[in-house]
Amino acid sequence: MSLRIYAIAYLIFLYAPIVLLPIFAFNDATIIAFPLSGFTTDWFTELASNKSLHAAVKNSLFIALVSAVTSTILGVCASRAGAMHRFRFKAGIMGFIMLPLVLPEIIVAVSLLVVVVQILDLGLSNWTIIAAHVLICTPFCIAILNGAFQNLDPAMEEAAMDLGESRFSAFRLVTLPLVMPGIISSMLIAFTISLDEFIIAFFLSGSSPTMPVYIWGLLRFPASLPVVMALGTILVALSIVLLTIAELLRRRGLARAGVKDEGGFL
Amino acid sequence: MTALITLTGVNKYYADYHALRDINLTINAGEFFSLLGPSGCGKTTLLRTIAGFESVSDGVVMIGGKDMADVPANLRPTNMVFQSYAIFPHLTVAENVAFGLRKSKDLDKPTKAKMVEEALTMVGLAGYGKRAAHALSGGQRQRVALARALILKPKVLLLDEPLSALDKKMREQMQVELIRLQRQVGITFILVTHDQEEALVMSDRIAVMFEGEIGQLADPETLYRRPNSRRVASFIGKMNFLDAEVKAVSEEIDVTVQGLGPLKISAEQAPEEVSVGPAVAGIRPETLGILFEGETTDRKLVDGVVDEVVYYGDMTYYDVRVDGVAQPLNIAMKNLIGRPVLDVGAKTRVIWDERSLVLLK
Repeated sequence: MSLRIYAIAYLIFLYAPIVLLPIFAFNDATIIAFPLSGFTTDWFTELASNKSLHAAVKNSLFIALVSAVTSTILGVCASRAGAMHRFRFKAGIMGFIMLPLVLPEIIVAVSLLVVVVQILDLGLSNWTIIAAHVLICTPFCIAILNGAFQNLDPAMEEAAMDLGESRFSAFRLVTLPLVMPGIISSMLIAFTISLDEFIIAFFLSGSSPTMPVYIWGLLRFPASLPVVMALGTILVALSIVLLTIAELLRRRGLARAGVKDEGGFL
Repeated sequence: MTALITLTGVNKYYADYHALRDINLTINAGEFFSLLGPSGCGKTTLLRTIAGFESVSDGVVMIGGKDMADVPANLRPTNMVFQSYAIFPHLTVAENVAFGLRKSKDLDKPTKAKMVEEALTMVGLAGYGKRAAHALSGGQRQRVALARALILKPKVLLLDEPLSALDKKMREQMQVELIRLQRQVGITFILVTHDQEEALVMSDRIAVMFEGEIGQLADPETLYRRPNSRRVASFIGKMNFLDAEVKAVSEEIDVTVQGLGPLKISAEQAPEEVSVGPAVAGIRPETLGILFEGETTDRKLVDGVVDEVVYYGDMTYYDVRVDGVAQPLNIAMKNLIGRPVLDVGAKTRVIWDERSLVLLK
């Protein structure tokens, strides 16, 4: 009984702040406080007309998409090699790839800033952020993809090659469909990590900020807080939709491959 | 008989580990050939070398008169049935079987469908084409793997422990079916197995492997009756080993076997390089006998005492202690009508015959 109360309290504590987002996003007041003063969609209208916010969102989406795809491709290569091949210094190499998982982002951010600006003498742009995001997303992708590849019988690809396919088409025809659920999960996680990453983006963004950096800038003006709330509402709705799609795809993939369902996002 | 596969001086190293040691082997067209040995003996490595999944460190692999050194697995005239079957779970049974036909662009769809149905019929899975591959039982997966490999009409079918995942009854049924299938298609089968009975039942010839080497290469009967070494003899079936001393070698061999005394055996019961000196003699449990009351024999007899009795229903295995023999002799007796099962400690007489003796390296 007490455990049940604890569980309920835990969930409320976890999700109540998120529920506040849509409430204040539709509240007709610039001050975030109860009681609510009325219903309005003004904040969303303002959101729709804010050009610099649009630019920031566009930046973030572009960075997140490129980072997700790149780190997933790198993750697929690393997980496949880790699961199917034996080679020298494998444990050491894997350890180094996974290291950014525990490396403080501030350190990654500062050292990359030094490398890019001082040593390479390059300007800061979306691409510098992408490089850093790929670095921090890849370990997550590998962690997710390892599961997919470890369940895979290495004889599958060999069987396809034995039946006349080249190494690459064996991968494409057999391995890829079987690990697709893992790839989708991996892209989704990497996308999410990159989308809301602040520290690295703050240090490495050039003239045009990413969305988290832009929001951080907005917080200095109390009047624009409801706009941030509206933006947050849209983001929450978007993540729920994305996660649902990913989970549906994952389940369909599992059912098709006849693998027992062992958890997932939802 | 024409040679289909020739291995000449094949060696394989993994870093410091010598997995295949100077393998020289010829496998004939249409033959059912088995690679038999304990786990880690290199039999699977040898099979994978023929399939093209492992490169040789040294030596030549020829298939159909062509050097396979630069031919990758997908271009070799071999197909394989994997130990795990490696059925593609995301495809249907028919799509699995048709997988190898993807590269045959000259075949139209109806022809391919007909070939798939024929292949499935051949392995006893007619009408299973639309089923999802992951919903099949172990025996059915095995059949799909066979159909998938045979549809390409390879010169050689490689089978890597194909029956090890099946239960005993299913395994015996598949053994018979594999023999029938091999005769029907006339393709060379190379079977890797650690199960000596399976190899004896199915093969035309067997290569017994130990530690990367071929210990003996012979047909099942020769292998069983005339093993050339102690390790082959103890790996295949049961064998009693007795210390012996070779006294003279001529047309016949004079040898003294402990407990059995001096005797003469023919040259074919000994290895070719036999010489005067200490040796080991082997004798199979079923070629020895126990003289029960009321039975007679014109063969030789030696006194013994029953040391251990294991009752199998149709057979009883006795360990009988004989004066002058270090280890008790293991004797297999059929439980025929009127034969009692002897008790431990019973005095008995052991029937033996020097014709069933073999001298071992």
